[in-house]
Amino acid sequence: MTAAATPSPTGPGTAPSVRQPTAQWAQGPAVPIVSVLAALFAGAILILVSGSDPIRGYLALIRGAFGSPYNITETLVIAVPLTLAGISVAVAFRTGLFNIGAQGQLLVGALAAGWTGAQFSDLPGIFLLPLTLLSAVIAGGAWGAIAGWLKAARGVNEVITTIMQNYTVVFVMHWLLQNGPMTAPNAAGTPASSPIGAGAILPIIIPNEIVPLSRLHAGVLLAIAAVVVFWFLMWRTSLGYELRAVGLGARAAAQAGIDPRRRMVLVMFIAGGFAGLAGMIQVSGLFHRVFDGFSAGFGFDAIAVALLGKNSPIGITLAAILFAAFARGGTIMQADAGVSSHLVEVVEATVLLVIAAEAIVRALAVRRGTPAEAIA
Amino acid sequence: MKRILALAFISLMVTVTTACGNLGGLGGPTIKIGLVTDVGGLNDKGFNSLANQGRLDAAKDLGVETSVTESKKQEDYVPNLTNYAQQNYDLVVGVGFLMTNSIWKVAKQFPNIKFALIDGAPANDKGDTENLPNVANLFFREQEPGYVVGVIAAMMAKDKVGKATHNTVCSMGGIPIPSVDRWIAGYQDAVKTISPTTTILHGYSNDFVDQAKGKEVGLNHISKGCDILFQVAGGSGLGYIAAAKEKGVYAIGVDADQSDVAPGTVITSALKRVNKAVYDTVKAVKDKAYKAGDNFFSATNDGIGIGKIDPVVPANIKTAADQALADIKSGKIKPKTEIQVKG
Amino acid sequence: MELLLGAGVIAATLRLATPIAFAALGGVITERSGVTNIALEGCMLVGAFFGILAADKTGSPALAVVIGLLAGTALAAIHAVASVTWRADQIVTGMALNILALGVTSYLNYEIYGSGVPSGVQLLPALSLDFLAGVPFVGGVIGRQNVLVWLALVLVIVLQLYLFRTVAGLRLRAVGEHPRAADTVGIDVRRTRYWAVLASGAIAALGGVYLTVADTGSFTDGLTNGRGFIGLAAMIFGRWTPLGAAAAALIFGYGDALSVSLQGAAIGELRFPVQLLSTIPYLLTILAVAGFVGRSRAPAADGIPYESEGH
Repeated sequence: MTAAATPSPTGPGTAPSVRQPTAQWAQGPAVPIVSVLAALFAGAILILVSGSDPIRGYLALIRGAFGSPYNITETLVIAVPLTLAGISVAVAFRTGLFNIGAQGQLLVGALAAGWTGAQFSDLPGIFLLPLTLLSAVIAGGAWGAIAGWLKAARGVNEVITTIMQNYTVVFVMHWLLQNGPMTAPNAAGTPASSPIGAGAILPIIIPNEIVPLSRLHAGVLLAIAAVVVFWFLMWRTSLGYELRAVGLGARAAAQAGIDPRRRMVLVMFIAGGFAGLAGMIQVSGLFHRVFDGFSAGFGFDAIAVALLGKNSPIGITLAAILFAAFARGGTIMQADAGVSSHLVEVVEATVLLVIAAEAIVRALAVRRGTPAEAIA
Repeated sequence: MKRILALAFISLMVTVTTACGNLGGLGGPTIKIGLVTDVGGLNDKGFNSLANQGRLDAAKDLGVETSVTESKKQEDYVPNLTNYAQQNYDLVVGVGFLMTNSIWKVAKQFPNIKFALIDGAPANDKGDTENLPNVANLFFREQEPGYVVGVIAAMMAKDKVGKATHNTVCSMGGIPIPSVDRWIAGYQDAVKTISPTTTILHGYSNDFVDQAKGKEVGLNHISKGCDILFQVAGGSGLGYIAAAKEKGVYAIGVDADQSDVAPGTVITSALKRVNKAVYDTVKAVKDKAYKAGDNFFSATNDGIGIGKIDPVVPANIKTAADQALADIKSGKIKPKTEIQVKG
Repeated sequence: MELLLGAGVIAATLRLATPIAFAALGGVITERSGVTNIALEGCMLVGAFFGILAADKTGSPALAVVIGLLAGTALAAIHAVASVTWRADQIVTGMALNILALGVTSYLNYEIYGSGVPSGVQLLPALSLDFLAGVPFVGGVIGRQNVLVWLALVLVIVLQLYLFRTVAGLRLRAVGEHPRAADTVGIDVRRTRYWAVLASGAIAALGGVYLTVADTGSFTDGLTNGRGFIGLAAMIFGRWTPLGAAAAALIFGYGDALSVSLQGAAIGELRFPVQLLSTIPYLLTILAVAGFVGRSRAPAADGIPYESEGH
């Protein structure tokens, strides 16, 4: 069974397209670029009508994302958790599971990291940092595994579970941090946890002399490592082979002698672990404690990132950078060119639409010579 | 088709490069003010929109240049503040208690730029409040307008004015944090002082956007007899007011004057003049009278107040409210800051 | 007991379930035809905004419903073109449309209303069943529900009959289960899917219209707050049937109602923290699905673009 797009998350365990990303990205870059430009043109007209200068706006967008070393580091700061969350979603997709829970898993990881980092704040970094990281990965993994278990044992569709889990985490987090058990004693009205110990902090990796004010922390190295781990796991281990077989369809898996349900808990644990790591990085790298409501939206954007990136390591990284660039450039578009942040969203959505359509249309163009697929 | 688009692309690039030369700092002696909002967005029916109003008023009246940046996630606070600081804005205003650490970080990195923070003071990396010489902390005594509208509510309930027949008043907060609870603390204090027999209810919507949730809490309170509903929940609070409107009872607005949200239902509003605070701070910068550290906005400097009072409120109650405000101003009444009837 | 099963709580359940049910019903229609429509949240949002805008500017709640419906259909049309004609990734398209809807409605809300809200708008009325006034419990529950709540109820039954008792419904389901077979017997797969997606946008938009034109009378940015996605979960929970989806929406609505009615309640000295009360609908839904429903299966060709011969 082949599919030109991701089948319904709600459908039977069919996998998203596993086509190699290089085939598409390499084929005639002109067509997608022209379509994106068309989308930007439409956006420019909207911006013009709204009373702002589109050229100034787009320049601000580009400048904000990549226009200076500082801006580049800011884009990367956003790209890091997005990439990890994207891997979280992709790992599940590869196995035919739809992990909508990356956001909740990220927050659970963040809470665990925040708690561990503060609880054992006197430990030196050599112990505290790995401990904090592990606690986040395990906590996020466990949270994800719940959804996996419910599906394997009770047949509960993971879409339902993970959506419900996400909301649950948000409210539990409210309780923990708004004058609750995890609220810092000196919080003075800010819903935040106690600061983590110095040993749990991920250091800034670009010294101030090179890029002043840079916030780019060692989490970017962890993210790169995670991308490699993802690649290795899925394409170089027998477990990865098994998982991808399950993802390609129950029939294929059965033929290979694999029971799809066996791996569901493990996969969701792995997925949750990646997302939990993203949460830990936000705590250890940026905020150094947990703030109620922080890191909003990563898990959600991660779904689009994973799909645009074709659930592959390079693709996800590039898609995450694209999203981060838009987010970062978008704020400068508002700050420096006065374009309404909502119009920025409209432009972003239009570009996304075009990219989504484009990749598939070109995929079909590539396969035009082959006989019509059988859709079983 | 491809050719046309390619041509368009090229012409765009040409325009861009020539336009590039015309861009660059507008420079000059005009004062530049930057506002960085919280994640709630400009239209949060709460402190972001009021702060924005202050910015717009300052732009109009004081001839300053302004810009606003809406933060989409908390990760954006530091870079958004930094962006204005890097461009040497004369005043960078942050909104909200979630920015306390972010503004501390940026203010320390840019000691020559002036900052202001609504509802908070800079907090260092240990989480301790640490005032900085270039940050003005704009605090409001929300319990004061809460108290005054509580006086109105208490007397209407006690005297059974109009539809307020059940001698029960209530309130709904967004989330249980001090800057929300302070309003309610004042409200409940007034009710307990003036009319101890009045039943007090309290709840939360756990949200600042979801109106339907706010309405449910309102309907729940009304079903328990509440006739005067005080909302402290931004956009969600509009739903609380909608419940009062549907059931034909009364509501009290918050932050800005909300009498036109539901005329006849909203009997008054508890005002938090965030717009005035922003305006005054901009003016202070312009007049070189900027004061860092704690700046309190309260009854004494008109930083708080009450909104238009609906005709259904009898004259004697209006008078009592004015008196209460005056007493707070003079220090005779000190409204409580801890809520007594928890949600 | 009153807190858990009183008429007030059950009445609230119906109110809270209604927008979710509309979204879920929209989801059922589109997914039964084989198209995933994640953009239901966006359709709800545009329905909510354009509905209240129309109600404000025209003074007619009925016209507002129509305009809200059309707005949802328009957004869904983009999804239909992208999914059915361009065969784009349906999830990415859906998500992009949600962002688009949020941006457009928030932008227009600010431009048109500034920081204020429409006031004095005539809302959709409740259906007053006065003959039930004296009846205990039942009178309290259904005696004064909004017309849209009743419409939702009717729509559930109509759609259930349509899908499972009419030829058109059978065709729709065939397109979702075996598009190639359906194509072979002469059913126009693409056209059926188009109509299904448009219909889903309209139905979901009704959920949004309920939130503003029936329930609250004003719009705040993003006020749908994820109800479109809860609706999708309800659809899955309900095994892609209108009745099932409605039941799931009711379960969720009940949990939601409890999270409000239990505020302030205590067992002895122990009060429930108000934030944890808000988790009730979500935990209840998981428990219900885990406990009762078991394995669920979507239409076989759900989410897979159809490639017919000669394209």
